[in-house]
Amino acid sequence: MKVLNYKKFLLVPLMLSIGACSNFVDDINLDPNKPTAVTPPVLLPTALAGSAFANNGELNRFGSVVMNYLAGAGGSPAAYDIFNTNGADFGNQWRFDIYGGALVNYQKLIEAADQNNAKAYTGIAKIMKAYTFSIATDVWGDVPYSQALKGEEFIQPRIDKQEDIYKGNQALGIQSLFDLVREGLADLEAASTSKPAAEDMVYGGNMDNWKRAGYTLMLKLANTISRKEPQLATQVINEVLTKNLYINSNALDLNVKFGSNVGSTSPMWNLAIFASFSNELIMSTRFLNVLRPSATDPTKTDPRLAKFFTKPAADYVTMDNGFRGTLPPTATWSRYAPYVTGTSGEGPVRLLTNFQRAFILAESALILGTPGNPQTLYTEGITASMKLAGVADADIAAYLAANPAVATLTGTKEQQLEQIITQKWIAWTGNGLEAWNDWRRTGYPRLTASQNAVGIDGTRPVRAAYITQEIERNPAFPNPGPQSNEKLWWDVD
Amino acid sequence: MRKRLAGFWLVCVLFALPALAQDRTVTGKVTSSDDGSTLPGVSIQLKGTSRGTTTDSDGNYSLTNVPADARLVFSFIGTATQEIVVGNQSTLNVQLKSDASQLSEVVVTAQGIERDRRSLGYSTQDVRGDVLAQRSEPNVLNALQGKLAGVNITGASGAPGASTNINIRGITSFNGSNQPLIVVDGIIFSNDLNQTENTLFGSQPANRLADVNPESIESINVLKGPAAAVLYGSRASAGAIVITTKTGRNMKGKTEVTVNSSYNIQNVSGLAKLQNDYGQGTQNNFVNTSGNSWGPKFGGPLTQVVTLQGETVPYQAYPNNVKDFYRQGSILQNSFNIASGDERRNFILAIGNTLQNGVIPNTKFNRTNVQVGGESRLNNGIKVNGTVTYVQTVQQGVPGGNGGSAFGQLTRIPRSYDLIGRPYQNALGRSIYYNPTQNHPLWSAYNETLQGQVDRVFGNIQIGYDVTKWLNVSYRATADTYTDRRKFVAAIGAARTPAGELREDIFFRSELNGDLIITAQKDNLFLEGLNASLLLGNNINQRKTQNPTIISQQLTIPGFENVSNGSVFSASTESSTMRRLMGYYGQLSLGYQNYLFLELTGRVDKSSTLPKANNTYFYPSAAVSFVPTDAFKLNSNVLSYAKVRASIARVGRDADPYLLNSVFEPAAYGNNAAQITFPISVGTASLPGFRIDDRIGNSSLTPEFVRSYEFGLNLGLFRNRASIDLAYFDTRSTNQIFNVSVSNSTGYDTRTTNVGSMRNRGIELVLNTTPVRLANGFKWDLILNFTRIRNKVEEIAPGVTQSPITGNAFIGINPSIVLGQPYGVIVGTANARSPQGEYLINPNTGQFVPGLAGQVIANPNPDWTAGLTNNFSYKGLSLSVLFDTRQGGDLYSFSAADLRSQGHLKVTGIDRDQPRILPGVIEVTNTDGSKTYTPNNIQISAQNYWAGLGGLASEAAVFDATVYRLREVALNYSLPGSLIGKTPFGAISVGVSGRNLFFYAPNFFMDPEVNTQGAGNIQGLDLNGAPNTRNYGVNLRFTF
Repeated sequence: MKVLNYKKFLLVPLMLSIGACSNFVDDINLDPNKPTAVTPPVLLPTALAGSAFANNGELNRFGSVVMNYLAGAGGSPAAYDIFNTNGADFGNQWRFDIYGGALVNYQKLIEAADQNNAKAYTGIAKIMKAYTFSIATDVWGDVPYSQALKGEEFIQPRIDKQEDIYKGNQALGIQSLFDLVREGLADLEAASTSKPAAEDMVYGGNMDNWKRAGYTLMLKLANTISRKEPQLATQVINEVLTKNLYINSNALDLNVKFGSNVGSTSPMWNLAIFASFSNELIMSTRFLNVLRPSATDPTKTDPRLAKFFTKPAADYVTMDNGFRGTLPPTATWSRYAPYVTGTSGEGPVRLLTNFQRAFILAESALILGTPGNPQTLYTEGITASMKLAGVADADIAAYLAANPAVATLTGTKEQQLEQIITQKWIAWTGNGLEAWNDWRRTGYPRLTASQNAVGIDGTRPVRAAYITQEIERNPAFPNPGPQSNEKLWWDVD
Repeated sequence: MRKRLAGFWLVCVLFALPALAQDRTVTGKVTSSDDGSTLPGVSIQLKGTSRGTTTDSDGNYSLTNVPADARLVFSFIGTATQEIVVGNQSTLNVQLKSDASQLSEVVVTAQGIERDRRSLGYSTQDVRGDVLAQRSEPNVLNALQGKLAGVNITGASGAPGASTNINIRGITSFNGSNQPLIVVDGIIFSNDLNQTENTLFGSQPANRLADVNPESIESINVLKGPAAAVLYGSRASAGAIVITTKTGRNMKGKTEVTVNSSYNIQNVSGLAKLQNDYGQGTQNNFVNTSGNSWGPKFGGPLTQVVTLQGETVPYQAYPNNVKDFYRQGSILQNSFNIASGDERRNFILAIGNTLQNGVIPNTKFNRTNVQVGGESRLNNGIKVNGTVTYVQTVQQGVPGGNGGSAFGQLTRIPRSYDLIGRPYQNALGRSIYYNPTQNHPLWSAYNETLQGQVDRVFGNIQIGYDVTKWLNVSYRATADTYTDRRKFVAAIGAARTPAGELREDIFFRSELNGDLIITAQKDNLFLEGLNASLLLGNNINQRKTQNPTIISQQLTIPGFENVSNGSVFSASTESSTMRRLMGYYGQLSLGYQNYLFLELTGRVDKSSTLPKANNTYFYPSAAVSFVPTDAFKLNSNVLSYAKVRASIARVGRDADPYLLNSVFEPAAYGNNAAQITFPISVGTASLPGFRIDDRIGNSSLTPEFVRSYEFGLNLGLFRNRASIDLAYFDTRSTNQIFNVSVSNSTGYDTRTTNVGSMRNRGIELVLNTTPVRLANGFKWDLILNFTRIRNKVEEIAPGVTQSPITGNAFIGINPSIVLGQPYGVIVGTANARSPQGEYLINPNTGQFVPGLAGQVIANPNPDWTAGLTNNFSYKGLSLSVLFDTRQGGDLYSFSAADLRSQGHLKVTGIDRDQPRILPGVIEVTNTDGSKTYTPNNIQISAQNYWAGLGGLASEAAVFDATVYRLREVALNYSLPGSLIGKTPFGAISVGVSGRNLFFYAPNFFMDPEVNTQGAGNIQGLDLNGAPNTRNYGVNLRFTF
């Protein structure tokens, strides 16, 4: 009897094991850490910040050095400064900022917003998607576009030609960047079930401003290809001028705003001012010499100098591009000023600006013959830039009066173009990519080679090499791919 | 399936009811057939049950409740096992024959089943605890290095507690853990490695097997192939390490107290030889911020220089500036055991303590273990046993990694920089250093730390009952739970987080297992000599983890290491997982005449981590062994014993939790220098931001499988003076659950899917010999093990020829799977080559032209490894000397590339004033488009040459990791009984031991046995991690 009892007892754990089975393993594999769906308001800031990082992060370190705003005192900037760049550079920008940051989340934003017809969100997303794709193609040339961002469908997207990205290609099913912007603008015109508010770190939900930004983006895209495709550029610019809706005051600039707390600050604040990498960047002696051509005649000094760069010591402490030798103490270095970084990292990151619009229209009036007076627009551009930098009206007037060679377009169209682009370059201080685009397009400003220049053949880079990860992962990428000395499609001279 | 099995068990149980027979007590004496001496400690096992006893000091034994048809198995180390039918005898005196050593032992196999070694159709290798204890090494895995065939063990570094990687028979899973299952006294024991920081530049936490005190180990049995481990289920597809701790079972009724103490000192080992002719600077100019030693030659006109801080200092070599960063470390280990009882009732109390101070300043590893265990066999056939262990492990480490860390800087110390002789911080506690963007290594060591305290409890309870003499039912419940409370401190001014950062990072893990095991055993089933046993089991398993992390940024008060010091917490995270598994398993073992054995095993698992439709999967194994020397009576003085064996197995594996869906997560941007983490604060608004996770989920995953064949041969030669254990295995892993890489322009990084095929083939050899055995007691034993494994990735996914291994990687240095290559090769940018294979040179610069991306530049897998243990013993004196070697395989070394390209390395100081020419050819394109190649003749400076050869991300950072090592020496002396007879002590022994005393790496100028990212699938990278150490010390053991 005793034995029998034990045997019954032994069945208990056995029964427990079996009985528990039915619910034991099912339905517990739902991730408690990560949601499977989110709403448009939490995707918009993510994607906007991605576009800002793409423009203002490592690519801006590169652009700022290559365009001689800054010189590379160490690390990667020192390599950029002697024109060295290869496929090991900008991998994070491609992967985490552009495709895997801004672009895919604009795509997810469009999908999420489409579900409840929130056209305000899809409109913004399409415009910014076009903007961000333009960064990719302007830096790398031919890039995945029409098949990109469709991870479930195409794990190895094809590469679309830059020409097709800008102009579209019906046969290949490629929508042009212009049409993508137009689609976004149409969404903004349509009724929307909801609109963004504070999560729109650019305009706080002002849809009219977004429309102006969309049309201004059309101007920028047209301007970029204007040397290669003057007719198409003219047509687009006229379309925008006819609509007469674009960024026409500094207050309407497309600025991505950041905060002052650690973890909320703008990329350039960290890279140039705050983080350990900050001592890899110092103001370029060459740019100082442009803004202050005469040490003895203060009237020649561009009033933006003190707004654009810091001066912790008695005078500006700078370095010539490519210099290799002992540098003064880092505490004395001239760096990007709060105009670029914000006083504590707030930025903003300026993606489309009023001065840019004025310079674009000045250039196209001069070269393409679009409506407008080149001189008026040129002066508008300089003035807008100076006002944006916080220069007093009187100081602007005084500088322009004292420097007619700057203020007045003179000489051949080519010489006038040089004046426009040189001033645009100065105005773009803090945004190396835009200046690099203009330099590649036009050859202006005139820059001389760095000391100790190496590169592929001693010349300034005109593109970035494809990142090694993509070459490893996607057979559509050529290996070896084009090096940094091979021109893009729109770079005609 | 479930219902049918349950029904079967019921039948089994009910069948047992009427079976009650007359049992008796058997007694007897065991002696040696060689000299008739009595043998104490002989194991006597009631065959087919877990019951048994051992002989006392006079060789006598007594075993109660022995059934009439029972067989008693007598086994003793160094003798042939005998199996005797009891019949109607109540006295059974046995003589054991010597010399059948190693070949007929009882070994502990999967689920704690004890088997006669000769019956095994697969390979296992056991290690006795006494070759792990007192070896100047507090980590069990490190103490196993060089002692096992088929097992690859690599330590991360000599930092205290740094993790150690172990793989048995190669890598079988693309993505899953390839660490073997660890089982301690039947407890499934977590060997996880929890990371607080990015593994590319974090400090090196311990893998949790480090919580086991080597002193407590009685024996370790390594189950190498899936066939051996299939009863443990999926997680043992990478093999299993079955650890048995000491008990009071063999105390023969006595109570014994054992005390062990050892003290070892540690010194840094394997640093590179550096030049001392040229100082800080570049292109022969002094530059006070330069990390290079390309400055002017010492002894020239430059005798004084001004530092970045404005001080004037002499310009001279500081030959030991890097070496003196390290201090002498120490390891103090004490343990105390009380063991008491006999085979029926016994208990053990074991207390161990380890205090280690590392060679790296401000690092330590302290561990305290307390174990209580015991068992009791009741007269009514019930056996209860259990053990519970509490461990507290405290570890403190210093981050490493490229750039902003102590180790990232130690490879960038100019030869003229007085690293140790001058203050490293100012009155405000800020670093004083030559490099304005980095910190002094000592400042980093004291201000950037990771501390952790693990509190862990693990234990088991098992109740067994002999329902009848041939049927046993037992239930075992085991639990293993720990909390690792970490604190990461990066003080204000840290290079990577200038505003400072504190983290409270808590890892909780809990695992529960319940196993119901029913064993039935019948001898002479159907025909004489056919013995059968059947095991049926059910396992329920639950694993839970939780990892909340408070990240406190933007600190205000210097030195206040509390998260309340921060003002930004937005990077804080929480992650929890739970997974469950229900398994049913069975094993049928047949033995015929003790020379032919067959074992069939099957297991069905149902896992929570797979989609419902695919979550139940079955896998079987079969093993056969045959002893022709017994079958055909072939024994001779030359061939004493021979066994051939073969096995086939297939093991299924489930996925990690939560892989089925695409998910969103809080967004973040930037690298360690320019980072934002959502929610971000803009103006007065706090903005949450989510992004799509970079992995594409897959709701139709199926289990992955490993299929394995194994053939083996055991030979005993010259009256077993030599024995050979040879194994050949061939495993193929298919249907791998892998996050296969996708083009990043998809917006994603990986896609979870079932893909691929990978094959491992290998040979393992263990040779045991006794070359010398003299009449006066002198004995020399020699044990050689050899391993050669070939791994090949046969298939990845359609259209995919390479894909990075999941984990952290630097751009252009991707540990990957590549079609046709072994697992884990490093993919990077290889120098461009001419059709003849010579490097192409840029005619403008004399440097290499830009390389080709996506090339395999390093293979971390060794060609073969071997270990050679020599044991010399003479009376109470024993000496053990272990050499091991690793042949081939590559190490990708940041440290080496740094030291060389920056002019610190010895070789860069030789003929520095001479111009050099990089090896290669210049490509000339002819007018007809054809190309010709002329030898490079462009002279460049020594600096451009050594730097141009390649820095961090280049194939020049790859070195052959071949190494020969004097791994371990242990000399021990046990005082003879005549000396201690009148003392209260039972035994006293003293010893000295040393580890890593010498190494020779023919193709590398440092110690190649480092592995920065620690235990895991990524191997072969030195990313500016900590170096290795050389340990030696004394130990004392006494019992009373």
